[in-house]
Amino acid sequence: MTAEALDPLIHVPARLQIMAALATLPEGDQLSFKRLQDMLELTPGNLITHLRKLEEAGYLATNKTGSGPASRTSVALTYDGRHALDIYATTLRGLLNGV
Amino acid sequence: MTANVGPSGGTPEEARMEPREAARLLAQTQADARRSLDFRAPWVSLVAAVVALAGFGIVWLNVRDQHPFTGPSLASLAVFYGLIALRIATVIYAYAHARTGVSGRSVNVQRDEAIVMSGVLLVCYLALIGIANSGSHGAGFYWSLFLNGILIALAAVWAGRCAIHKNWHEAALTVPVALIAALAAIAGPRGMWLVNGVGLCVLLLANAAIGKWQRRATRTYTVQTGA
Repeated sequence: MTAEALDPLIHVPARLQIMAALATLPEGDQLSFKRLQDMLELTPGNLITHLRKLEEAGYLATNKTGSGPASRTSVALTYDGRHALDIYATTLRGLLNGV
Repeated sequence: MTANVGPSGGTPEEARMEPREAARLLAQTQADARRSLDFRAPWVSLVAAVVALAGFGIVWLNVRDQHPFTGPSLASLAVFYGLIALRIATVIYAYAHARTGVSGRSVNVQRDEAIVMSGVLLVCYLALIGIANSGSHGAGFYWSLFLNGILIALAAVWAGRCAIHKNWHEAALTVPVALIAALAAIAGPRGMWLVNGVGLCVLLLANAAIGKWQRRATRTYTVQTGA
């Protein structure tokens, strides 16, 4: 098995961090964009770019409430996203254990 | 970013992390996120330990020479409840700080649990006030019932809540709380304040130390060990 077996969408530092951080939330919970940005210390533009890619793949869902300055965007991993991260971690373990 | 897009949308340029680096990043990010989102930080337990020792200790200093026992003075009770209010304030602050930006099911569940615990506390107080008003025992009996009864009731309700959530670490913590309160009841109306103060302080300090150790342990947690 080689590193190419790893999901290339997740195997990018910023996206791996996004997926890993969101996976610590219980299912049914969401994290605000601002809090995620603070936790990962990413710029808003950078975070938006990576979130969009993950959302397009169906790995996460965003939810926007309100409008204007009071609007709030929350993100959460989808079932597919959690599953993809599980597979990624399993593959990673296999690679590190020389499987 | 449109050229050389991988099967899931990634690009070869982006996928340059070594597996070991990815494993470290995954484990580190999850450990940091868990720590950041958990309001039960070791410092919260540390404050609770100090509050328990100081609160119960002040009342014990007030009643230890009472013969016969007449109950704590209003001043010592004011300090006692003031310290409890401080403890509640630190928990609310830690919760608000840790859970900022989090919404969804678990937030609603925790809010409902807080309401249930407040309700249990209120029912306990009302029941014990009712018992005190209708009985003819000495002050020592009522104070013992009041203090230790509430501690045991809260520990029992919290144990049930932890069992529902399969949070065995916290569930295990409620057993010594109930045991300390039971031991305090045996120690009598004067000694119970000291037993509760020292017992809860030691328990909370141990909990803070375990929490600190667990947080440190997760820093070295790698994907090989199941992160």
